[in-house]
Formats: sequence, C-alpha cells, structure tokens
Amino acid sequence: MVTGRYFAILAAGGALLHTLSASDSAPAPMTSPERQEAVFVDALSVPCPGEVFAAMNRVCRPNWAALVTPATAPVSSDRSQLALAVGVLAADGYVAVEAQDGQQVKNIGREIMALAKGLGVSQSLMGRGNSLIEFADNGAWEALADELEATENEVKVTMVEQKDRELVTLTSAAAWIRGLEVASGVVLGSESLQGLGILRQSSLARSLARQVAGLPGRMGKSGLVTLTAGTLESCATLLDSPDLDSPGKKGADAPLIGKRRETLRKIHDDTGRLVREILTSSGKSSPSPSPAGMQGSGSAATSPGKNP
Amino acid sequence: MRKPHEKTMRIPVAILSLMFLLLRGGILPVSAESAGGEMSPDAPGNPAGPVPSEARRMALETAGAFLNDGFRIRDGEWAVSLSKGSPVFLQVSLFEGNSYWFVSAVPDAGTRLRITVYDGEGRPLKGEEWKESGKHGGTRAAVGIAPARSGSYFVGVERLEDSTVEASLVYAYK
Repeated sequence: MVTGRYFAILAAGGALLHTLSASDSAPAPMTSPERQEAVFVDALSVPCPGEVFAAMNRVCRPNWAALVTPATAPVSSDRSQLALAVGVLAADGYVAVEAQDGQQVKNIGREIMALAKGLGVSQSLMGRGNSLIEFADNGAWEALADELEATENEVKVTMVEQKDRELVTLTSAAAWIRGLEVASGVVLGSESLQGLGILRQSSLARSLARQVAGLPGRMGKSGLVTLTAGTLESCATLLDSPDLDSPGKKGADAPLIGKRRETLRKIHDDTGRLVREILTSSGKSSPSPSPAGMQGSGSAATSPGKNP
Repeated sequence: MRKPHEKTMRIPVAILSLMFLLLRGGILPVSAESAGGEMSPDAPGNPAGPVPSEARRMALETAGAFLNDGFRIRDGEWAVSLSKGSPVFLQVSLFEGNSYWFVSAVPDAGTRLRITVYDGEGRPLKGEEWKESGKHGGTRAAVGIAPARSGSYFVGVERLEDSTVEASLVYAYK
C-alpha cells in the first residue's frame, strides 16, 4: 500500500517534470502599450480586503477582535453614499471573520441587506443573507469570507444589470479604503511598523481615484464622491512617498521610522475620516472635519434624511 | 543572485495534490457559493444565477485543488477571447507575503496555453508552472507566484496556435 503511494508520487512528479520541460520559449517582456491597455476587471483587479488581511496575518498577527466596530449603515437616500457604505461594511465583515465574531458578521450581513434594499438590488440577496447567518452560527469562517465576497459581488452584478455600473466603482473603492484604514492602523500599532511593505499599493489607489473622479453626471460631482477621489489620490501620493521606501529594511534609525509613522498616520487618518463620512447618516454632521484641501461631505450632509 | 521580484514559490504539496486529483479524475467539488458566486437555483428568494461557461467551470475545478492547501479562490473571473500571437493582459494588485495561483482554462483539448505573471514594469516573473491538456477535457494552465513586493502586476494569457478560443481566468490566494 505504502509502496503504491510512493509510485503514485513518483509518477505525479514525473508527469509534472514532463509538463514543465514541455513549456514553450520564455515569454517576452510586456510593451508599454500592452501595460497601458491591460484589462482592469473590478472583481479581480481590485483585491478583496481578505487578501490584505491574509498578508497582515503572516507578519504581525493582529488582534482582530479589538478592530471590530459596530455595523452601522447610514440612513440616506443618496445612492452613491449607499454604494460606498456597502464597500465599507463588506470590509468590516472581513474584520469580523478574522476576529471569528459570528454575531458581528450577522449584524453586518443585515446592514448590507438594508443598504441593498435602499439601492433596489436586494431581491437576489436573500439567500446570501441566510447563508451568512448559517455559516456564522456554525463558525464556518472560511465559507463566511467567501460568502461575504460573493454577497458584495452579487450586489455589484445587480448594480450593473440595473445600469448602475458607476456604483460598482464606489463599492470597490470604499472596500479598499476601509481595508487600508484597518491595515494601516495595525501597522501603526507595531513599534517597528511591521507589515508596512504590504500596504504599498499606490498604483491601485491611483487607478481607483481616476475611476471615481471620472464618474459621470451628478454622481461625479457629489461631495462624498469628490472626497473619495481626493482621499484615494492623496493616499496614492503618500504610498509613493520615499519615506515609505524599503520598509522591510532592518535597522532603520529612529528618525526614519518617525517619518514613516507620520506618513502612515496621515493615510490612516484620511481614510478613517472618509469612512466616518460614508457611514454618517444624511443630515448629521460627521464627528471629524474633512481632510485639509478637500471638498466637504456634500451628499451625506445635504441629502434629506430618509430611511431607505 | 536572484532579484527580489523573481522570487519563486515552492508549493510542492499544492502541485502534487493537483496532480493527484486530476490523475484520479475526481477533482474537488467547488461549491457555487465559495467559488463562482452563482447561487443555487433552489436557494430561497434567489433566481438561478448565470450558468458558468465551460471554460470557467474548468478553471474553477482546477483552482479547487488548491483549497486543500489553504488557498481561497476569488469570487470573480476574467472571460477572454484568445487568438494566436495576441496575448491578453489583466492588471492585478498582489501583496507581499501572500502566495497566488492563477488558473486559466479553455474547453478545447490540445490547445497550447501559456499563462505568465509580469511585474509592474512588464518583466515576466518566474513562477511554478502547471499545465494539462486533453486528459480530462479541455486545456488548463496555472502559474503560482509569491511576490516579493506589494504592488501592481499583470497576468498574461496567450494561445500559441491558430484559431480563436474562449478562455477563463480565476485566481486563488493565501
């Protein structure tokens, strides 16, 4: 029996070597136009918060339970705000999954359903909500993370079907921003800024900023959308900063770590401020002012308070 | 000396499990919820989701083999039409410390399919490669990589023969 297993391993290894040796000549480097014209598919090109959290788990074992925040969907009739809030809550769902907090996942699931109802995309999501509850009750954490991403994607698919493609961009951007806020907070909690290198995604931030800034019509001019684009652009610049270069280098001196911490603190504060604006119900003031040099939160503050 | 971005991933267990599963002809089932995002037709309150293409079904089936090794499959796909001499590229953002497998499949058996990961400057990276054609229907190719730095990367898929074919690309991470 054991011998048979070893033969099988050898056969598999042999087959593997055969497939590798049969590979074709080395691929050529990409040309500049090829890089510029590379396809950007929302569902794959924007990493899900679970990816950044998986990377964080490898370097610094965050205390996820301390990062769980109450799930509060904003009360608003502003569709762009609701779409942004779906993204924020989806990212919060991943935090709750990492913390293995089943009740919080269920709360977040309920809030996402409420937002989906406000957006008119809830019909196909009932089963997702039931699955989230079932998985949370059974402590099926991996399945929960998968279900969260599937739920977020299902909201997006329905947005596209309802000719609301631009809302998808907002949901993806908000999920990434909330993920960046959480991850940057984790890194700031480490004396040596462990995990800083993981956050360096300036191209993605810039790409999302361009997409959000390019949203058409009234939506593109909404204060909250403008603030989102501005925050993404500012994060891209900060993530590109030479202060954050070679973050993995050991033996960095105190002034350098101090500079890095300052830059990272700015990223954390800006993203945190935006997240609070997104989750602030219409007609209520956010507890913090908008980042300097950016437009204030228009839609959240000016839309009539109305329960979706 | 190997450059940081050329760091390769060693996942013999993942490759061996993939080989075994394919050789056995019984690839791990991939639940619609966890991988494809399609709903079960009898899920309460949910209409049947879109039927996945054959290429996507095969890509997910192949990627499913990595679940045993702790990988998670992204709930999304890139459906693309491949023709000879015209590689197509997808932009992705990868994180240092994570490992990734990109899997592509086409329904046609005997196709020479190539999948390559490039860094942000467009330089091809060396990764673990896996290919299979014909034995279990269609053609499947996968490449595994563990990026040394977070940032923007590209995934290229290419068909090395004449005629056009519909392909699907999915990826898994851990």
